[in-house]
Amino acid sequence: MESSKFAIDKDRRTFVKNVLKGTIAGSLLLVIPMGGASGSLEVPAQIPGIRGRKYDMFKQRFAFIVNITRCIGCGSCCVADKREYNVPDGYYRTWVERYIKDFDGNVYVDCPNGGLDGYQTPRADIPGKVRDTFFVPKLCNMCKKPSCVQVCPVGATFKTPDGFVLVDKERCVGCGYCIQACPYSVRFLNPVTHTADKCTWCYHRVRKGLLPACVNVCPANARKFGDLNDPESEVTRILASPDVITVLKPELGNMPALYYEGLRREVVYECGP
Amino acid sequence: MQSDYNTHIKRIVLLLVVAAVLGFLAKKFATPTSFGKYGHYRADAIQDEVDRPLRHMTNESCLSCHPFEWELHEQGRHKTISCEFCHGTYADHVQDGKFAGRLPVKKGEEIKTLCLRCHNKAIKARPKDVIKTVEMPRHLEDQHVQVTHICNQCHHVHAPLIYINHAQKVLGIEEANNGKQ
Repeated sequence: MESSKFAIDKDRRTFVKNVLKGTIAGSLLLVIPMGGASGSLEVPAQIPGIRGRKYDMFKQRFAFIVNITRCIGCGSCCVADKREYNVPDGYYRTWVERYIKDFDGNVYVDCPNGGLDGYQTPRADIPGKVRDTFFVPKLCNMCKKPSCVQVCPVGATFKTPDGFVLVDKERCVGCGYCIQACPYSVRFLNPVTHTADKCTWCYHRVRKGLLPACVNVCPANARKFGDLNDPESEVTRILASPDVITVLKPELGNMPALYYEGLRREVVYECGP
Repeated sequence: MQSDYNTHIKRIVLLLVVAAVLGFLAKKFATPTSFGKYGHYRADAIQDEVDRPLRHMTNESCLSCHPFEWELHEQGRHKTISCEFCHGTYADHVQDGKFAGRLPVKKGEEIKTLCLRCHNKAIKARPKDVIKTVEMPRHLEDQHVQVTHICNQCHHVHAPLIYINHAQKVLGIEEANNGKQ
């Protein structure tokens, strides 16, 4: 009798405890805000191996590959980039150029509004017969030996240990040396912050395991980004394949980490082949 | 004979010492603490860049509230297109997990302009194996519809061939679209 009463008491106790636990847990769920910085990570990772482990800056290596033979010139990347960074009108962190070659060896390049509005109309001012035409997306080359970092007098632009060339907005004095030094013309002086600005390969997204905004929106899979330490990643496979992979202006020795597939000679060299 | 007047030397030495101390203090206080940790730059600037707020998410982020559209989009030929490209950024729509603003809906000619960004045959630079292009208004004439038609009157914007495949099935027309919608 005594023991059964004790058992009921114990049951009651655990029941009350459980109810309390449930109430507290439930109310906590309501109180703790979902979303924000933690909520943003609810989406599945796009680059495997970044989340859920300590990020070692000295060991990470990334590559960006643009496949010219797949670019359809829709300008999604340019739109995504402008929206992600609120880039002021008239300035472009990434853009898509249209190349037209005729049979006389002339090369015509145009880029209306950086490709932001896409390419809605064909070019009408080409006198000769068109031999070849293609789109070339441009963005920061993330050089392994960046000229912009070398010329910065205040240490505001730098290469991170994981290979990203970034700008420190707090230190930049807006002298514009880096803008002149960049052989790929990817830098500009931001008229809002009055500091140098450029494509960062969406460093803030990459560190959260997400692809750069332009890669994420590319419908034709012309832009590829990935981890070079991951032997299974697409970029590793492409760079290990026998396909011809080029960089822009290799003669300058900047050693870009941005590679192009299917690029024509007219684009690779500054002064023609 | 050596002169006893060496005040000027004392002054110069004192001035140099004061300048050195001032210089040292200026460098100590003006240099950010994390400067030089990894190189000739402020190491905390890396964290500043990491903390930049995300404005774009991925297509998966739309799934939790728009499962119907997501599923339709995922099985169609437009599955590689980012939701945010046509509709606007996630950050303009959701903030801290809560509704923040309505994204503009494209209508009429805007839809046509959006479709032709990719599907305009007049732009010859588009690789044919990547994208199916049409010539306007010839495509409308070939399909025997009015040339004022907007693309989405026949094509579902999320799964462009879903209506067409369905209609062909109903009418018994065997025109293979490789079973894709």
